[in-house]
Amino acid sequence: MKKADLITGVVLLVLAGYVIYEAWLMPPSGTFGPGSGFFPFWLGIILTGLSLILIVGAVVRPKDPNDVSPFPTRQALFAVTKVLGGLVIFTVLMETIGFISNTFIFVTYLMKVVQRERWWVTLLIAVGTTACLYIVFQVLLGITLPRNMFGF
Amino acid sequence: MEIFNDLIMGFHVAFSLQNLFFCFMGTLFGTLIGVLPGIGPTTGVAILIPITFGMNPTTAIITMAGVYYGAMFGGATTSILLNVPGESASVMTCLDGHQLAKNGRPGPALGMASMSSFIGGTFAVLLLTFLAPPLARFAVSFGPPEYFALTFMGLTLVTSLGGDSPLRGIISGILGLLVACIGIDAQSGVARFTFGIMYTLDGIGFIGVAVGLFALSEILENMEGPMEQMVSKTKLRIRTLFPNLEDWKNSWKTIIRGSLIGFFIGILPGAGATIASFMSYAAAKKFSKRAEKFGTGVIEGVAAPESANNAAAGGAMVSLLTLGIPGSGTTAVLLGALLIHGMRPGPLLFTSNPEFVWGLIASMYIGNVMLIIQNMPMIGLWVRMLKVPYKILMPLIITISAVGVFATDNNLADVWVMVTFGIIGYVMRKMKYPAAPMVLALVLGPMVEMSLRQSLTISHGNVAIFFTRPISAVLSIFAILSLFAPLFRILWNRYKARGKAAV
Repeated sequence: MKKADLITGVVLLVLAGYVIYEAWLMPPSGTFGPGSGFFPFWLGIILTGLSLILIVGAVVRPKDPNDVSPFPTRQALFAVTKVLGGLVIFTVLMETIGFISNTFIFVTYLMKVVQRERWWVTLLIAVGTTACLYIVFQVLLGITLPRNMFGF
Repeated sequence: MEIFNDLIMGFHVAFSLQNLFFCFMGTLFGTLIGVLPGIGPTTGVAILIPITFGMNPTTAIITMAGVYYGAMFGGATTSILLNVPGESASVMTCLDGHQLAKNGRPGPALGMASMSSFIGGTFAVLLLTFLAPPLARFAVSFGPPEYFALTFMGLTLVTSLGGDSPLRGIISGILGLLVACIGIDAQSGVARFTFGIMYTLDGIGFIGVAVGLFALSEILENMEGPMEQMVSKTKLRIRTLFPNLEDWKNSWKTIIRGSLIGFFIGILPGAGATIASFMSYAAAKKFSKRAEKFGTGVIEGVAAPESANNAAAGGAMVSLLTLGIPGSGTTAVLLGALLIHGMRPGPLLFTSNPEFVWGLIASMYIGNVMLIIQNMPMIGLWVRMLKVPYKILMPLIITISAVGVFATDNNLADVWVMVTFGIIGYVMRKMKYPAAPMVLALVLGPMVEMSLRQSLTISHGNVAIFFTRPISAVLSIFAILSLFAPLFRILWNRYKARGKAAV
C-alpha cells in the first residue's frame, strides 16, 4: 500500500495543480459574489492538502511486512484487459456493424476467448443474450438500436 | 387527517395495473440481485435507469425503489445458506444465519430473515408516511445557507461513516465534486474543464458514470480470478420455514429495536443499510441475556441485521424525498434517476408532485407484501438461481450496461464515459477508495456549489453566514465534527494506549 499511496498522492497532486491553474484563468464574476472559478479553486486547494497528507503518511509510515500490494497480478491484469479491450472494440463498432451482429460477436468473444467455454454453450448464450437485449430495448422499450448498411 | 387522504390517493396511483406490475418486477429483480453475489443493489439500480428511461417518472422510480429494498430481502438467502453475503448489508446475517443452517435449522433462519425484513420494512414505510410531510413542511423555510450546510453534512457523513479510511473517502468525494464542475457553469455561463470537447459542455452524463463506477468496475474485479460455482444442497419446504414460538419469543424485542435503529440510521444522510445492520447486531448482543451465544447460531442474530437493513432502506427514502439528500450510494443513484425524470426531490416535491410521492410511498407498502410472498414460497427457486454461473451473467450484465447507457441518448460518448469510469472505478476498488462518496458528490455537486455561491453572495463573502443562522449553524457544526470524528477517535485510542502503558 505504501508505494500505491505514493503514486496516487503524486497523481492527485498534479491533478490539483491543473485544477487550480485552470480555475485561476477563469473569468472573475461580472457582478458580485464568487465567480465560476471560485468553487474549483478551493476544491483544488483542498485536494492539494489531502494528497500531501497521503504522500507524507506513506513516507512516514514504517514498513509493514504484512503489507499487501494492491496492484493486480500480471494474470489478473491480463484477464481484465481482455474484457476491457473487447468492450472498447464493441463500442467502436456499435454504429458501424449494427447492434445485432455486434452484440453477437462481442458475447461470443467473451464466452469463447475470455472464458474458454465450449462452442455450443457459447453460441447458445450469444444468441440468447442478443435476442434478450433486442426484445427488451427494441420491442418493449421502442428504442431504435443502431443498424448496419444491410439493415439489421 | 390530511395524511390519510394523501395516502389513499397514493394507493390509487400504486394500484394501477402498470404500477403494480412494475412494482412486482422491481422487487423480483431486487431479490434476484440480492441473492446473486457479485451484483449489488447500486449496480442493479444503475442498470435499470436506462431501461426505465421511457416510462413515466412514478412507474420508473417505483421499479427502482423496489430493486433497492428487494435486494435487502434477497441478500439474506446466500448469507444463511452459503456464508456468502449477497450484498454488504447482509454481512452480519452470515454470523448467526450460517451457523443456524449448519445446525440443521436453515428453514427457520430463512423464514425469520424474511419476516423480520418484512416487519422492519413495513415499519419504516409507516414512519416515513407520518414523518416525511412535517419534515418537508419544516424544510420549506430552508435558504441557500441551510442547503449548503445540509449537503455539506451529507458529504462529510458519507466519508466519515463509510469505509475504513476517511482520507480516501474525502478524496473520492472531492474528485466527484470536481467531475460535477465539468461543463457550462449554470450561474455565469463559463465553460469549465471541457478540454475542448463538445460533449463535455453539457456536463458528464450521470448514467454513464454510475453504471461504469458500479456495474462495470464490479465485473472487472470479478474477472480477475475464476468465480467458483456455489451450490447449496439444502432442501427446503415451505412448512419448515416458519420459526417456532420460542424463536419469536427470543426475537420480537430485537426486531422492534432493529427497526427503530435501522430507520433512524437510514434517515441520516451518509449512513446506510450496512451501518444500520452492524449497529443493530451490536445492540442485540448487548441487550441479550445470552450474549455469549451470539455467533453460534441464535435466531436474534438473524433478526437484528435483517430488520435493520430493511428499515434503513425506508429511512433513507425520508431524507431523499424531503431534503433531496441521498444517504448512500444506492440512493445517490436513485436521486440521479429522479433528476433525469425531471423530479426535483426536496421539500417542494410533496406539494408540487403529490401523486408521485404518495404513489411511491404506497407502492412500498405493496412491495413489502409482494416481497414476503416472493421470498417465502419461492425460496427454493432462489436457491436454485444460485446455480446460474457467473460466466453466463457476466456477458449479459456487460452488454445490457453498454447498450442501456447508449440507448438513453443514442450517444456513443455516454458509453465512453461508462468505459472510462469503469476503469477509474476498478482502480479505486484496487486502491481501496470507496465509490459511494464520488457518486454522491457528483449528484450533489451542482447543489453544493450553487448554494455556497448564493450564500456568499447574500453575505458579501462572509463565511459567518453559515454559523449565524440557527439551523445552518447546527448542521454546519455537526458536519465539521463528523469530518474530524475519525481524527478524534485516533487521538483517543492513542491516549488510552498511553494510559495503559503508564499503568
